[in-house]
Amino acid sequence: MAPSLKHLSNALATTDQLSNSSSSIDNVPSDLETSIRCAGAQLTQTAGVLLHLSQDIIAQAVVIFTRFWLGVDGGSLRIYSVKDVSAAALYLTAKLSFQPTSPRSVLNVYTFLLSQDASPLWFVRQGGAPETPPSPETYILSEGGYQSARLVLLRTETIILRTLGFDTHVALPHTIALTYLQTLGVAKPAVAQRVIQHLNAALLSPQLLYVTHQPNALAVAAIYLASREEEVKLVDGEWWEVFDVDREELGFLVVGMNSAEGFMRAEVSRWKNKAFPIPMVVDEVDAEIERRRMMQEGE
Amino acid sequence: MSSRWATDDPETEAIIAQQKRDKEQKRRAKAEKQRLEDANKAQGRDATSTNGELGPPKKRRRLSNDPDARPNDVEGVKIEQEQKIQSTLLRFPVGEWGPCRHVDNFERLNHIEEGSYGWVSRAKDISTGEIVALKKLKLENSPDGFPVTGLREIQTLLEARHQNVVYLREVVMGNKMDDVYLVMDFHEHDLKALLDEMREPFLPSEIKTVLLQVVGGLDFLHSQWIMHRDLKTSNLLMNNRGELKIADFGMARYFGDPPPKLTQLVVTLWYRAPELLLGADKYGTEIDMWSIGCIFGELLTKEPLLQGKNEVDQVSKIFALTGPPNSETWPGFRSLPNAKSLRLPSTSAPSSAGNPPLLPRTQFPYLSNAGLSLMSGLLALNPASRPTAKQCLDHQYFKEDPRPKPREMFPTFPSKAGMEKRRRHHTPEAPKRGQEAPELDFAGVFGGAPGGDTGEAGAGFTLRLG
Repeated sequence: MAPSLKHLSNALATTDQLSNSSSSIDNVPSDLETSIRCAGAQLTQTAGVLLHLSQDIIAQAVVIFTRFWLGVDGGSLRIYSVKDVSAAALYLTAKLSFQPTSPRSVLNVYTFLLSQDASPLWFVRQGGAPETPPSPETYILSEGGYQSARLVLLRTETIILRTLGFDTHVALPHTIALTYLQTLGVAKPAVAQRVIQHLNAALLSPQLLYVTHQPNALAVAAIYLASREEEVKLVDGEWWEVFDVDREELGFLVVGMNSAEGFMRAEVSRWKNKAFPIPMVVDEVDAEIERRRMMQEGE
Repeated sequence: MSSRWATDDPETEAIIAQQKRDKEQKRRAKAEKQRLEDANKAQGRDATSTNGELGPPKKRRRLSNDPDARPNDVEGVKIEQEQKIQSTLLRFPVGEWGPCRHVDNFERLNHIEEGSYGWVSRAKDISTGEIVALKKLKLENSPDGFPVTGLREIQTLLEARHQNVVYLREVVMGNKMDDVYLVMDFHEHDLKALLDEMREPFLPSEIKTVLLQVVGGLDFLHSQWIMHRDLKTSNLLMNNRGELKIADFGMARYFGDPPPKLTQLVVTLWYRAPELLLGADKYGTEIDMWSIGCIFGELLTKEPLLQGKNEVDQVSKIFALTGPPNSETWPGFRSLPNAKSLRLPSTSAPSSAGNPPLLPRTQFPYLSNAGLSLMSGLLALNPASRPTAKQCLDHQYFKEDPRPKPREMFPTFPSKAGMEKRRRHHTPEAPKRGQEAPELDFAGVFGGAPGGDTGEAGAGFTLRLG
């Protein structure tokens, strides 16, 4: 029997799923959609760290989160709050892993991260973490709040599962990349570290690299970039073909990964001076769209 | 999710295979096209990017095809290109995801059975007319949201595509949030019902055919880091083409190396390995091999091999068959949680021949020497002594005469699942999720005082200790 490649590959978004989204049908401007989705991915990443989940679980959660919003059958930002989907994706992924976590832990962390007074996230609280610690009431979940938030969390979990047809499989490029590095004879830890950094940054990519490319290609691109940045010479010749990546795909991914930093900087500066932070719930999305409409009419 | 149809007719199969290939090719072409479009988009983005230090890569990317060109053209060119690439580079199978369909796409025909994790019925796909098995997952009383067992069942089934593993076509949903159904290929029989119906046990050649398929499927599962954890005859489905499929993954889960801490409350009692009964929380694929041994025994006689009434009785039945463990045949068993209360005959003679020791020949009078050695390996008390699924497949037993019967020659049987309600099995069920592992007192295993009603099942040992 031929060995199964399922463990090394992912379901990818179709062209239709990439060009249409439920949110765009609901009149969410595409730049806003991108900003919210990217902020949601960062929210997931940060929450995962606070929950002491390992990075592979977090990365899988971000990919599930990303898939959820794609296509006309995906979720709309005007129906589902990004914070709920983020929390449910993380809870669901952890549940399937060797490190399950409780609804209460997840909701405590999200309450803290979304607190306007306490959050260290730049897109929730202007300027990030406050210098003086705020009073605990501003970021502690009440018992009543917990009960209702728990229901929303579990309901959102089921919605994610239905939207994805219960396919929760996510293969990650991280371990593949380390194997490739060994194959290429690269022993410098700085390169490996840089590779992992690129792969984690790519989770936030507006080009949605994790749902458009297979893990082996992501791994190769990260190695290509990291070895250049660390000035480690790799073997001569088109080594990426050994890992089943063609030059064209590599080129695209290298550009995509390289642009992550610039994109994030642009996002921060774009939202820094606005009166309202990036919307994390449906009401805020509606309000932001209404504000934009008024602005346009005013002009 | 696409569906797969096995047909008897080789011609139809060939056509289907051809169609499949065509579809796959088209899909690849589509994926390729999409990649190009992405690349184009990215280029556009770069051009508008304000960030100076980012530029297009030094190497010029070949983007010969205008994505706006007539689709037919592009498609054709792409397929050609794809074929060229294929000769050197491995292309991964490109899957997709999409939302669940509604269960109303299926017409329920008749109820088949109720298992530990759901109700199964025979149903017809209204759009295609295909007959499928529809399994409703039991989701009530799940305080932590969607039950992890159901998720694992779906996840493992979706990833374990093998000719001896039941084929999960898709997951569909009902009106309520917790109405979830698995749509699977329909099979006429399960092995348990078949054995119950048969007047004579399977022929030796047929037993080999059945066993090879179970072990083949299991070998695949283990190679994919999946433990089944509930192998028993009622979870093995058969169709009238002699094909066997492992089903019911409600207990299945991924394992790791080193093995993670797991619940020992798995596997239906009669098929449960001794290390689980003794409370091991670190165990591995060997528990599935033990179940295979029990199934092997059941195939020989039509009767479940070790029908314990409860955990204590099960242990005593096991020891009655294998002889009690000693530090030679099973080093370290003393340190298992439930072994403390175990009082063993003090003079259990060190078994003379071989490790694992051979089971008594009288138990399996019609089995060849090779067969007995395989059985003794599978039912070795020490998990480390049991063969792996792969080793099983290479065992002499399957190579000696009578050879395994070709699947096409396998007898057919009237289907129980097809029309009327299937008889409820008398096999006990797998343990329920979330139960506390009981603190077991095995003092009574050899007929000692405590241990309740099991005393009388003293396993045929003459006791030296009270």
